[in-house]
Amino acid sequence: MKKANRILTVLMFIFLYIPMVVLIVASFNTSQDITKFEGFTLRQYAELFRDEDLLRLLGNSVLIALLSTAISVAFGTAAAVGIHRLKPKMRKVVMNLTNIPMTNPDIVTGVSLSLLFVFVGTRLLGQRESLTFWTLLIAHVTFGLPYVILNVMPKLQQMDGSLTDAAMDLGCTPVKAFFKVILHEILPGIVSGGIMTFTMSLDDFVISYFVTGSGFVTLPVEIYTYTKKPIQNKVYAMFTLLFLLIFVLMVAMNLLQLRANRKRETMRSVSKGGAIFRRCAAGFAAACVLAGCCFLAFGNKQDKIILNVKNWGMNMADGSDGTLDIVKAFEEKYPNIKVNMSYYESNETLYSQLKNGGISVDVIIPSDYMIDRMRQEGMLEKLNFDNIPNFQYVDEQFKNPDYDPNNEYSVPYTWGTVGILYNTKYVDPADVTGWELLWNEDYAGKILMIDNSRDAFGIAQYLLGYSVNTEDREELQACADKLAEQKPLVQQYVMDQIYSIMENEEAWIAPYYAGDCMLMMEENEDLAFFLPQEQGFNLFTDAMCIPTCCKEKDAAEKFINFLTDPEISGANMDYICYASPISAARDYMEDYLAESEIVYPSEEILANGTAYKYLTKETTRYVEGLYQSATKTADAEGPNWIPYAIGGAVLLGLAVTLPVIRRRKKTQ
Amino acid sequence: MSKELIRLQDLTMEFDGERILDSINLYINDHEFLTLLGPSGCGKTTTLRIIGGFLNPTSGTVTFDGETINDVPPYKRQINTVFQRYALFPHLNVFDNIAFGLRVAKLPREEVTERVNRMLEVVSLKGYGHRHINSLSGGQQQRVAIARALVNEPKVLLLDEPLGALDLRLRKDMQIELKRIQQAMGITFVYVTHDQEEALSMSDTVVVMDKGRIQQIGRPEDIYNEPKNAFVADFIGESNILDGVMLSDYKVRFFGRTFQCVDKGFAPNESVDVVIRPEDIDIVAPEEGHLVGVVTGVTFKGLNYDIIVEFKGFKWLIQTTDFHGEGSTIGIRLNPEDIHIMHKSEYSGMFGDYSSYSAEYDELTEDAEDEEE
Repeated sequence: MKKANRILTVLMFIFLYIPMVVLIVASFNTSQDITKFEGFTLRQYAELFRDEDLLRLLGNSVLIALLSTAISVAFGTAAAVGIHRLKPKMRKVVMNLTNIPMTNPDIVTGVSLSLLFVFVGTRLLGQRESLTFWTLLIAHVTFGLPYVILNVMPKLQQMDGSLTDAAMDLGCTPVKAFFKVILHEILPGIVSGGIMTFTMSLDDFVISYFVTGSGFVTLPVEIYTYTKKPIQNKVYAMFTLLFLLIFVLMVAMNLLQLRANRKRETMRSVSKGGAIFRRCAAGFAAACVLAGCCFLAFGNKQDKIILNVKNWGMNMADGSDGTLDIVKAFEEKYPNIKVNMSYYESNETLYSQLKNGGISVDVIIPSDYMIDRMRQEGMLEKLNFDNIPNFQYVDEQFKNPDYDPNNEYSVPYTWGTVGILYNTKYVDPADVTGWELLWNEDYAGKILMIDNSRDAFGIAQYLLGYSVNTEDREELQACADKLAEQKPLVQQYVMDQIYSIMENEEAWIAPYYAGDCMLMMEENEDLAFFLPQEQGFNLFTDAMCIPTCCKEKDAAEKFINFLTDPEISGANMDYICYASPISAARDYMEDYLAESEIVYPSEEILANGTAYKYLTKETTRYVEGLYQSATKTADAEGPNWIPYAIGGAVLLGLAVTLPVIRRRKKTQ
Repeated sequence: MSKELIRLQDLTMEFDGERILDSINLYINDHEFLTLLGPSGCGKTTTLRIIGGFLNPTSGTVTFDGETINDVPPYKRQINTVFQRYALFPHLNVFDNIAFGLRVAKLPREEVTERVNRMLEVVSLKGYGHRHINSLSGGQQQRVAIARALVNEPKVLLLDEPLGALDLRLRKDMQIELKRIQQAMGITFVYVTHDQEEALSMSDTVVVMDKGRIQQIGRPEDIYNEPKNAFVADFIGESNILDGVMLSDYKVRFFGRTFQCVDKGFAPNESVDVVIRPEDIDIVAPEEGHLVGVVTGVTFKGLNYDIIVEFKGFKWLIQTTDFHGEGSTIGIRLNPEDIHIMHKSEYSGMFGDYSSYSAEYDELTEDAEDEEE
């Protein structure tokens, strides 16, 4: 029996800690491939400490965590003392109220805070940029407070209530009594509450995502945009360090607690441990405050212009794999400007972020149809082309496009096509004839479908021979039927997750953007790209625009101009693998890209491509509705009932056992 | 004795509409050892906390040395308290606990050390200064608590059931110790307890309280010998309380007989409570007795036997050093000074009948009382 217990314990620890072990091993691996351990190296740690961006993000996270912990601890402790003095009935009510934010789903907290901040900032204070460092800090304090209160309350309740009386009896004012006596009694609660707040704050993503502006981004929020490319190994190194930091912190806390307990049990005289502990805590608090002050001093002194750029993930060369670090190059050229990058996943995300307001963004790079929409809805600023002389290098065919007829709002950044990526190992070349490959039942379960309504409908429209910009309800309905027909064959509807699935050969066929396909083909040489030129395909352009919430228009135009330089554009394309709208840029690109048929299809092939236009609001909404019902309706025959059954059984079990337990407690 | 130091005037206290104290009037002299005695919930601790400044009375005034101190916070009163469960500061050692008040007052370092060391001697804890609070026994902690209060040289020391958590033997020792300290330091003690023996043996003055009201104030002997009503008679020692009629001065009638007594000043034929202490009753042969009864229960108590004797359906408790077996018939004699007459009160008929008396019953109620504290 004892042995079985021990084995179970060991198994449990393995289960709990194996992910960490894998991560730590990966951080020392010489190989890029996490499945193969080739040798031990500290290179990734060296790289980590050279990567200013990552360190800055980590610094941001730690700063927010420290400050929010310090504030939460101060206010939480004060609140706990206040709540403790309430009458028991009232105390219970207040405690329940403070617990609710903790049990509240993060997403609800995040969205409601975001709404509040935008409302107060934009409406009441007339701020253009209401989501800032400060809102992030307030949000973190909001969810940190309950943890402190929850940890301090039991200590207050355990404490002999007459200690306060005793201190006052001996000449202390109530405030003095708190600092001289009460604080020492509840310190363990404060410390554990503080540590909980710190770790919660450090890894919070959901709430931070909604309340932070583009000016101040924390590590988890940024990591989320890393889905497009395999995570770099230096990130493993950073996670290992983070894990160790928390681990050491927790172990230290437990050891201190243990020592304190032992001291109380044995009849030893007071050692200096308590004093050291107190000094440590005081030091920690002082460090928090100092860090905050430094930040504020530093933040205020900084007279650089901050340029907030919102881009697709992995859509600008960043210096990795021998490419040019474009932001760095820009900042070297304009030393008084600091570029602050943040990312979005889809045109629709970007649209809603700007529409929600509360953030200030200077440069965005949306796709054609979205530019059309934003332009029509007055969300874009007119550009001053005097500041963008490099516009002259843009090819004539990309000037005055349909989405910006007078070319007042945009400068093209990249262009590309949507085609089919497939795995030559599994897919018969004879089957690769056109878009119908995505409906081929022989490959059922191995097909991925692109997860946005515009591209999905586009594919159906090319297949059925309709215009991609049709607003005809019957045609759209036919497309929806076609997509519904495809649904049983589709393994998943994906966007950026396509990378790992296709590279690992979990699926064989997927429609996607040519540039991304090139990147995947570099990773797995069995992958090939097919452009159904007879049926037609989407020819898209991403272009740089300045939204109306811009604060630094001059710097924004400088940045756009910089990116339109043929040499820079060429170097940029080496990284993102899309085509440049600037012919001259091809001279600066690596040959295999510049000559690739996939990146630069021939003129005659291009003639078959069409661009998306902005559909009316009604049609957009109609298409979205059709798309949702065609692809997202619940699958009745699948094994979906199993989780529900388990959940139901657990609830039933609880319903049966809880009253029994409660009754037993009462009788005891 | 000496001059008046504290006066409580028409003190009333209400919590949530419930009356805890009902017009308390009391004065405390300098150097006096005064005890507030009563069952739990009688308001004695509330009274003490009002004197200490931890509670504000609903109405009435507290004067200290002639000045009203209702609005003076505890940390400005020249009063220190020994709390029920000591309330020592767990994060400080013995020395630092005792030095706490002096350091708050910002006294010079040397003076603090000197006074604390002197105090450690007074409470016989010399050499314990560096010990951790939790490594001390209950009695030692008690003495640290007393030292911590006394080192500030207060004019008044308040003690809230300070011996309640100690075992019987230690309690007896500490009673003597406390009395010694009080006399040595010449400080006024206001002591709260529900233990009548403690109150009688230590105090100069005992204040018996019940239901938020003072029942009787007096020297221990007076309280014992001249209880004012059935509650005091019962609470202080054991008493047989009977219904009687005061025929005239010095003449009382109960159990169908007229007895000589030493009390006077009652209205003719006034209904009264008659108190007869169990140890005052002389047992004689049945034919010589004023009353004759049958022994129905015997309990050996060490010093004496507690015997229950039935007289005409009413059971008395009698304490005697001679053994009288169950079922034996005995006679008793009552001398005039053994009979104490009280006016009827709200407590009449509630106490003094030993019909349901048993040794276990007594212990049970005592335990229940302890738990409530």
